[in-house]
Amino acid sequence: MPQQRIIAPNLALLYEKAAEVFGDMPAFATRKKRDQWEPTSYQTLWDRGCSLAAGLVSLGVQARDKVGLFADNRLEWILSDYAVQIAGAADVPRGSEVTVEELRYILEHAEIKFAFVENRSLLQRFDRATEKWETKPTIILLETPPPERSEVLTLAEVEKRGAKFRDKHPHILRERIDGINPEDLFTLIYTSGTTGTPKGVMLSHANMISQLEHIPLDITWRDRILSLLPIWHIFERVFEMITLSSGACTYYSSPRRLAEDLVAVEPSFMGSAPRLWESLHHRIRKGVRQSHPVRRALFATAYWLSKHYHRNINFLRDQDLLTERPRPAWRKFQKGYAALFWFLLLPWYGFFNATVLERIRQVAGGGLKATVSGGGALPREIDEFFNNLGIAVLEGYGLTETSPVLAVRTPQKRIIGTVGPIIPETQIRIVDLDTGKVLYPDEKDSAGGRMRKGEIIVRGPQIMEGYYRNPEATKAVLQEGWFRTGDLGMVTWNDCLQVVGRCKETIVLSNGENMEPGPIEMRLRQLPGIGQCMVVGQDQRYPGLLVSPDPEELAKTIPPTLAEEEQNARMLALVKKEISPENGFKAHETPRVLRILSEPFTVGDDMTKLYKLRRHAITEKYANLIARMFADREKR
Amino acid sequence: MEIERQLLSTVDQALLLLMILIIMFGMGASLTTREFGQAFARPRAFLIGFLSQFGLMPLLAFTLAILLQLPPALAIALILVGCLPGGSTSNMFAYFARGAVALSISMTAASTLLALVMMPILLDLYASGFAEQIQASLAAEDPETTFIIPTGNIIISLILVLVPVGLGMILRYFSPAWAKTAEDTAGFFGIIVILFLILSVSLRHGSLFFRTPVEIYMAAVGIGLTGFAFGYLMAKIFRLPYRHRRTISLETGIQNGPIAFAIILLSFSQPWQNEMLWLAILYSTFIVLTSSLVTLWYRRIGAYDYEVHRNEVIHQRLFGKEYHSPQPRGSWTDQLKGRSALRDKPADLLH
Repeated sequence: MPQQRIIAPNLALLYEKAAEVFGDMPAFATRKKRDQWEPTSYQTLWDRGCSLAAGLVSLGVQARDKVGLFADNRLEWILSDYAVQIAGAADVPRGSEVTVEELRYILEHAEIKFAFVENRSLLQRFDRATEKWETKPTIILLETPPPERSEVLTLAEVEKRGAKFRDKHPHILRERIDGINPEDLFTLIYTSGTTGTPKGVMLSHANMISQLEHIPLDITWRDRILSLLPIWHIFERVFEMITLSSGACTYYSSPRRLAEDLVAVEPSFMGSAPRLWESLHHRIRKGVRQSHPVRRALFATAYWLSKHYHRNINFLRDQDLLTERPRPAWRKFQKGYAALFWFLLLPWYGFFNATVLERIRQVAGGGLKATVSGGGALPREIDEFFNNLGIAVLEGYGLTETSPVLAVRTPQKRIIGTVGPIIPETQIRIVDLDTGKVLYPDEKDSAGGRMRKGEIIVRGPQIMEGYYRNPEATKAVLQEGWFRTGDLGMVTWNDCLQVVGRCKETIVLSNGENMEPGPIEMRLRQLPGIGQCMVVGQDQRYPGLLVSPDPEELAKTIPPTLAEEEQNARMLALVKKEISPENGFKAHETPRVLRILSEPFTVGDDMTKLYKLRRHAITEKYANLIARMFADREKR
Repeated sequence: MEIERQLLSTVDQALLLLMILIIMFGMGASLTTREFGQAFARPRAFLIGFLSQFGLMPLLAFTLAILLQLPPALAIALILVGCLPGGSTSNMFAYFARGAVALSISMTAASTLLALVMMPILLDLYASGFAEQIQASLAAEDPETTFIIPTGNIIISLILVLVPVGLGMILRYFSPAWAKTAEDTAGFFGIIVILFLILSVSLRHGSLFFRTPVEIYMAAVGIGLTGFAFGYLMAKIFRLPYRHRRTISLETGIQNGPIAFAIILLSFSQPWQNEMLWLAILYSTFIVLTSSLVTLWYRRIGAYDYEVHRNEVIHQRLFGKEYHSPQPRGSWTDQLKGRSALRDKPADLLH
């Protein structure tokens, strides 16, 4: 797919070129009121970025220094990033939810001497993290500082200072920009740590530029992109970089204002997490349930038609999930069948799509061409729901260590149930978990190694340089350019990647049976009352389940007046019904014990900001409860 | 082509009239009085649309009738179709063709009202010649019978179908939610009516499809297609923006079929009624297909222009009315524009 993007050897040059080509076009827009937003043009961004960069240089920031950037999505974030890149340095970003301990670790580990800090509350944490230090990092506050802190600089001060400095040293920024090598870091991202202590992922300019070259998304300068996910995550960041290099405009929103902003901005593209689609799905379903019976019937008809229309058209275009070896003759026969159905459904679908489904699509703003979902697996049911509705949800796959995109569905290859084809210039292997043998690609196998399950390992221009100052950890995952993702996957017959679980998540029961908690949890999250849940049972005879309740919904199915034991039992009955062989689960995967937790999981402690369970943290926190849960059943 | 029995049974006719009332009610439910005033907000586009609908379209119908040498009754039917106001389905098609929906709605609203004046004048202008032909042939056989265009009846039929439109508007005024439901239901009925007519005709006159001469098919399909083409051309000559061109094109080609049925049923007598009805049915059937295809085509070629326009609209909404949306500088834009029509894949209507 030809792309309409600016490409440059590094991000600073990319920013410069963007200002040249896109000039006064809006690059970012921030919200003042519901229908009142303020645009910032490419040129302004570049000019202010340059002043700020000169300010950093005047303060003593050296090329290749690490500069902290502790803030959430806002215009000043991207300004600071511009400044850091233009000064030839690298930023170390984290969002406002960072804890004192993490902050201390990062500041120390990355040897940060300069840091952008968003607001007073973060400043307090910053102070606590560095209270015993003799030399403290220089702080540039994005908001107005408290008057008593005269040593704290503000963005405006540094900018002013930089403007003067630039007059005296007109070539300083040019020198810095020209001095950037493609393999220099542009960022150092400390992962929030689903496992163990934070690790600093080193990503180079070349990593990011390769992503801009190869990610097959059709974003143009006419597009509006809503920014929702935390910008310090590489997934949102790569989206903003694609937006910048395409000349489109990023509109900063937040999960709280999402519904409103979707309508105001009518985004045509956005990066999203499964959670968003889960909640939109919930909202649409609820809206339909509460509507007039006539409308409900119309929706049901429209959805039914759409579902079957899509099933047939996907089959005709070979876009169905091919998990079995296709038999050409039989398939041709089936295609004749599918073509007939498709033709019969077409007029009805056309009408209902135009009248009923189009209105439902307005929930997502109505202008959405496509959206990429990443940062976790999208439940199959929800994936199908939106794609049947006519909202192209493209699921992608990647990790911070891979800048992040490894594979993504494209409009041409939008196979539901997969994360799409591997992006160009990237190689993939599936290796056996125990023996390390390469299962895919395998020339000797008649299937070429497809449909064999194993760990996904990858090689390509987007793979990180390594973990910062942590050669052991680097060596454990990165060998001869091949990066071990720790994810379990396989390649389908139409060469799309299917991610089926996390190797490290895999629960091994005492009888030696392995099970993946992911699919079970995903399914159970659809049950009313279950907000989140986690399967436990490593080394037990059967799995158990921790339920993080959605109290309001829970009260509707299980009266809160019941004894705790009775509530657990009732929930377990529901769970058992769901995780049954009829629904495609193995008998040993059915949880046999369950506890509804008194408090729901919280973001930060129990989950990452992308709602990924921090399994080790939860297991630790509820160690006693889990032990008791299994012991109680044994007694009976 | 002889239609020996009545094309539609009396029961079918009654059902058809009922459905017309429902459709017109739904059409009214999609309108507010504001839409009539909206016409004056873009007087230029509106005027060109008016010229195209009441100037171009009847002329096209007349020319087609002459070129295809249609029998007089069918020629009158074709001209009648050409003189009709715009149908409410054109609004939906304009939406999916990335046109200007507001313009489409106001054109539909205004032309429906203006039809009261324009239709009698236009029919008198274009159809009276054909009416005289019928009269002449009749006079040869039996000097007692006469045939004239029943102008009075046509006006009465028009007023009759406008009553449910007014009722729909009243519903819209009191309950927009219910009006929306009524609008959708009516849209659905629009399709049902056509299927119902086709089915009922094929049950009674199975071979009629084969006995219909090809000129009549050409006329039924051609009036819509030439309407689309010349409507677009007209808007292009007056250099209207692309989305207005697409809108006016669709608005010109898509006529309010149900009004034609109503007029033919209520104003014309046998044996002419049969033939005229048959042409109106054929037009209504083919217009659904042709306008769907044209809409898909417009959606494809209009993607670039629409995206630019939509971006400007949203910029002005969010950044203030004075905001002027810049575009990429120099060769970049030209390069993109050159490629866009071929390359910009439209977000498929039928995803």
